[in-house]
Amino acid sequence: MALIDELVSAIGEEKVLTDPAELYVYGADWSPRTPDEIRPPEVVVLPSTTRDIQRIVNIAYAHGVPVTAGGGLTGMLGGAVPLFGGIYVDTTTMHSIVEVDPKNQTLRVQAGATLQEVNDAVNPYGLWLPHQPESKWVCTVGAAIACDNDSTFGVRYGKILNCLLSAEIVTGTGEVLELGHRKAHFTSSGYKLKDLLAGSEGTLGIITEATLKLEPIPEVRMVDMIVFHRMGSAVDFLSRILKAGLCIEAAHINCKRRLMFYTHAYRDKHGRDPEIPSWAEALLAIAFAGDNDIVKKQRDYALDIAAQFEAELVKEREIVDSWWASKYTLEFEPFKQKWPDSQGTKKFGAADPGVPVGRLEEFYHKFIEVAGKHDLEIIGMNAYLEHPNSIGFSLSCAVFVDYRSADEVKRFRMFHDELSKLALEFDGTMSTFMSDSDQKAPYLELEHGPSLRYMVEIKKLFDPKGIMNPGKKFPREAEGK
Amino acid sequence: MTDLKELKHDLETCFGTSCGLCERGCPVYQALRIKTLSMRGRNRTMLGLLEGKFDITPSVVKAAFECTLCGNCDRWCSLKNTEHTRALREYLLKHGVEPLKEHASILASVKNYGNPWFQPRSARNKWMKGLDLPKAAPGKQEVLFFAGCTSAVMKPLMASLAASAELLKRAGTGFAVMGQDEPCCGSTLQRVGQAEAFEKLERDNFDKFKALGIKKIVTACPGCYTTLKKSAEKLGEGIEVVHIAQEISDLVGKGDLKVRRSTEKMTYHDPCHLGRLGGVFEEPREIMEAVSDYVEMPNSRYESKCCGAGAGLQSAFPKLSRELAQKKIDEAVATGATTLVTCCPFCETQLRSVPGMNVVDLMELLLEATDDASN
Repeated sequence: MALIDELVSAIGEEKVLTDPAELYVYGADWSPRTPDEIRPPEVVVLPSTTRDIQRIVNIAYAHGVPVTAGGGLTGMLGGAVPLFGGIYVDTTTMHSIVEVDPKNQTLRVQAGATLQEVNDAVNPYGLWLPHQPESKWVCTVGAAIACDNDSTFGVRYGKILNCLLSAEIVTGTGEVLELGHRKAHFTSSGYKLKDLLAGSEGTLGIITEATLKLEPIPEVRMVDMIVFHRMGSAVDFLSRILKAGLCIEAAHINCKRRLMFYTHAYRDKHGRDPEIPSWAEALLAIAFAGDNDIVKKQRDYALDIAAQFEAELVKEREIVDSWWASKYTLEFEPFKQKWPDSQGTKKFGAADPGVPVGRLEEFYHKFIEVAGKHDLEIIGMNAYLEHPNSIGFSLSCAVFVDYRSADEVKRFRMFHDELSKLALEFDGTMSTFMSDSDQKAPYLELEHGPSLRYMVEIKKLFDPKGIMNPGKKFPREAEGK
Repeated sequence: MTDLKELKHDLETCFGTSCGLCERGCPVYQALRIKTLSMRGRNRTMLGLLEGKFDITPSVVKAAFECTLCGNCDRWCSLKNTEHTRALREYLLKHGVEPLKEHASILASVKNYGNPWFQPRSARNKWMKGLDLPKAAPGKQEVLFFAGCTSAVMKPLMASLAASAELLKRAGTGFAVMGQDEPCCGSTLQRVGQAEAFEKLERDNFDKFKALGIKKIVTACPGCYTTLKKSAEKLGEGIEVVHIAQEISDLVGKGDLKVRRSTEKMTYHDPCHLGRLGGVFEEPREIMEAVSDYVEMPNSRYESKCCGAGAGLQSAFPKLSRELAQKKIDEAVATGATTLVTCCPFCETQLRSVPGMNVVDLMELLLEATDDASN
């Protein structure tokens, strides 16, 4: 029986899309690419249950056909783009809340629920899932795990792995496995296979359900912006207040240019960019959250210390609110959302390296140099603190990319590669929130050396035929295809 | 009529952006979770069509018409997505796609009877029976109360028109009605992609209004409101268009209408055409707060979810349409309110078609509160 007939027979006709117009829609994500680079799959499936996905993978396994699972399709590096056609599994049709356990502060959810849907479901219990990328309305639980994306509140709560207690997957052989430690927060037992899922990009299997750790919603949140003479001073300040024992909820160091990208609402209202002191090179957005007295005390303490770093509080609240709306609340004026407004001619594209904390400023200058070398308009750098109660950050080195120009998209990719490799020379890492996709696959050995062979072997154990999202992390030939 | 080619830049911008923020509020996408039925997907489909990546297929037609044009996607975007969808409908009809059979019958009815409901023109007189309302005549009035096809010919909705007329009278507003000479505003034609038929109709309509010397049109239906308002901007030469809720709330505010406040907890559904697409949010709420123990739904004003009746969805996709109505009722029930109030004939009919809540017209509710106050 042909592949499509088998899929229809296994999960039902209404869950199988084959019309070329439908397939086209699933052939690209958020990453910079020209319209000519849309890669439609051969078939799209809309599963409702883990059993559906198992049936789909069983058929793919029998036919040796690629299977790419996707969520909101807002990946920044093409992780869920079906490079080799085959079956695209749209997991967003699996979005049921399986269980809310308020007493134990956990949630069991199907992997296609968006992060916002999770929070809508647990909000009545006074709880929330603090893993919050800007794409939270669209980004699904499964995609957040598989991409290991960034979170606004990482400095307090970490990223998705810090929230993930357990996950169910369907492997490349169609086997259903539960990886993790049920509702316990951590384990010393066995190998931590669950952790392999973070950033796995669907190459080991399809995440179908997850048990997530929830946190109580803080009563009060105060967000401020503090300007510094240098990016390095902002890092030193954060290190100092962490040493002081403050509990920071969010910390983002923007270079001056980057702020302008995030204050769209301000510009829209006032017809000009916000005014920041000319001497200021770095703008730290910082949030504290908790009971009112504690928040106030921590904020005051932090501002006292900031003065020692010759930093200044941004007094114009609209600048701060505009940034925060863009970063977290998404409370845009009706019909004036920043993304399409800012992407009319060129779109946001970024590299996501990680460097040692003491070398942020040095790397910033390299970023400016590399962007210039590839003739790309600079948006700027943002360093997001994403390790709980520690100074560790991920970097977003962003440029504008003319996605109508094949040449500029190519130059963007060269820029991305060069910065990724440069981060290794800085004793850092190539990726902190986008994973590898096919972009970094050709040179992943630079980061991992001989250990890459072990990764390939792990991949083979989960996916012996190399059908799960082929071409991502490793070139397809490395998987024996 | 907008040519699809004129939208190419915006379609590419949506592709380049791909933020997907339109999906959260889209009632159709949230019900079906098929990306081709989200605005991001529809824009990409249109781009693919323009780029010649595929021909018009059944899925393209479905993507174009399985949408209520409620504008929720526009709330979260700076692109004019609802206009894109309308342009796609027009493009398909222009390129040989037959109107959906349900929509074809609407078109025939508007052409033959001046309303989309296969009712004789004389049926428009029924709601006025016994009300002694002045008929519009050249130079005799400045204000026209525009009843709209749906409420005028559908029995369960006629009381809302009578209430509106009575309230206008009590407030001392001089107005006239057109009765069976009242034309269709063309809203339905426009929304199912019949651009040429609509453009002819709107020209004819405004010629009639001008000949009658109308300076202000008070509409009962939000669909008529947005349609006539836009037409008036093009063709009206100063004719003002307001919805009855705007006209009456003003009178309540000035104290021209005395009302008694009920202790019943009630909530209000923003019709898409009046609220998000028409920008009228506060006036209905002023009335609601004057007459009830008002409670807001979580998705309200710009974020109000469509009832599922609009843009031909109810006729062509009844199962989905009903599902959306049920979601709206569920949202209203969850507020603890016992009555759901709205002021659109489509929304009222739609929301009454599913169980769970007492659905009341805003003008009928206000008239009752006015009667109570005078007793």
